[in-house]
This record gives sequence, C-alpha cells and structure tokens, in this order.
Amino acid sequence: METLILPASLDSLAVIRKHVQTAASDAGLEKKDSYRLLLAVDEVATNIITHGYLETGIDGRLEVRAEVDGEHLTIALGDSGPAFDPTQVSEPDVNQPVEDRKVGGMGLYLAIRNVDQFKYQRVGDQNRNIFIMNRKHMHSGGSG
Amino acid sequence: MAFNVRFEMLDKGIARITLAGELDAGTAPLFQKEVEKATAENAKRLVLVVSELEYIASAGLRVLVFAKQKMGRQVDVYVVGAQEQVMDTIRKTGLHNSVISVKSYDPAVIENI
Repeated sequence: METLILPASLDSLAVIRKHVQTAASDAGLEKKDSYRLLLAVDEVATNIITHGYLETGIDGRLEVRAEVDGEHLTIALGDSGPAFDPTQVSEPDVNQPVEDRKVGGMGLYLAIRNVDQFKYQRVGDQNRNIFIMNRKHMHSGGSG
Repeated sequence: MAFNVRFEMLDKGIARITLAGELDAGTAPLFQKEVEKATAENAKRLVLVVSELEYIASAGLRVLVFAKQKMGRQVDVYVVGAQEQVMDTIRKTGLHNSVISVKSYDPAVIENI
C-alpha cells in the first residue's frame, strides 16, 4: 500500500481514518479491531496536528503508511513536528467522576490502550508513531 | 457519513441534541456550539440522540465532559441509542458513570422531569 501524505490539518483526519479502514479491511481485521485501530491513529494524528502544528504555527505534513505481513497490520504515522512521545503523557484517572476531572489526556489514553502494540520512535527530525494490530487467523474447524 | 448536529429546546427545559456521522477533533467545535446553546438556556436536562453517530473521538468526549461540568451535578445527561463502538469508547474513559445510557428514545422516560 502506498504512503499517504497529507497536510497536518484537522480536515485530514477523515481521510486518514478512511485510509486506515481500508488497510484494516484488506488485512482481514474484525470490525471491532478495525475501529480500535482507527481510533488510535486518529487520536495520535489529532495530537500531532493540534500540538505539533496548529499551536506552533508551522505548516506540516503527515505521512501514513500501512504494512501487512502474515501476523500483523502495522500503521506508521510520521511527522516532522516537535519531538513528542505519546507514551510519556500521564493517563487520566478514568475512575474519577467527570465533575472533578481535569481536561485532557483521554485521547492518547484511548490510542495506546486500543492497539495490540504501540511504539514511538524519533528518527532524525521525524516523529514516528507505530500502531500494530495482530491479524487473527480463522482456522478451518473440526478435528476431522 | 458527514457530521451533522441539531439542537432543539423541548418543554420543561430539556435540551435535545441529535448527532450523526463522525465526531472528531474537526467536527467537535460544532457539537460544542450546540452544547453552549443548551447551557445558555439553563437546560434542566441534556438529551443526546446518537443512534446515527458512527464514530466518536476524545474531542467529542471532551465536549461531553464540558457539558457535565458546566451544567452541574443536578442536570442529567442522557445518551440515547449509542452504537456499540461509541458506547465502548465512552465506557473505556469512565464516562458511562456520568451519563444515563438508554437504548431507545422513550419520551415517557426521557422527557419526564
């Protein structure tokens, strides 16, 4: 699958989700797993766009690449905004009543917990966020 | 489906907001605007009809949190007809404890203050 390159703007989010959905369907992911994956990618992409670009005023691009092998579907989300590691953000307290909660934190919490594996890499001046979902194989049933 | 949001003020100070399509960081400000109409009206109850809401990101949840915090503990927020994946996300973030989730729109329940 080719690499999708998009402007780092909120309008790109729907396009990214569609791209990930297609990759998930092609990889044979179940509906629930597809949704978890696209939510995760969407949340991290949102963060990149909002904090890496909109707030800093830089014009930027996002790259989305899907790779499939026998066991996994991997989505790599790349950008050249300021270094930001989503795994270092503190989690919200989801047991706390809403009325007492501080704003924020839910997006990355949903992202990282939703996929089978998540990795962040800083490569040169690029952030790379990697989302990995296990492909579940349907085995032909019966003991014969 | 493209995002769509509609605000209505019912009798007895009930604000009803109907959401459809995909609620993400780009479309959440539209939802926010409608919630602000409800708070401006000092709504006594907020009813969110979401049977056609296909997707919700944390930006949408943040508007829900805003609504709860702004309207106060006395005001119930109903979530009507949430699709499974939407409800799942609400549950994962603990917000299901702060809203009343019902499967279908029963005026006898929802519009009975």
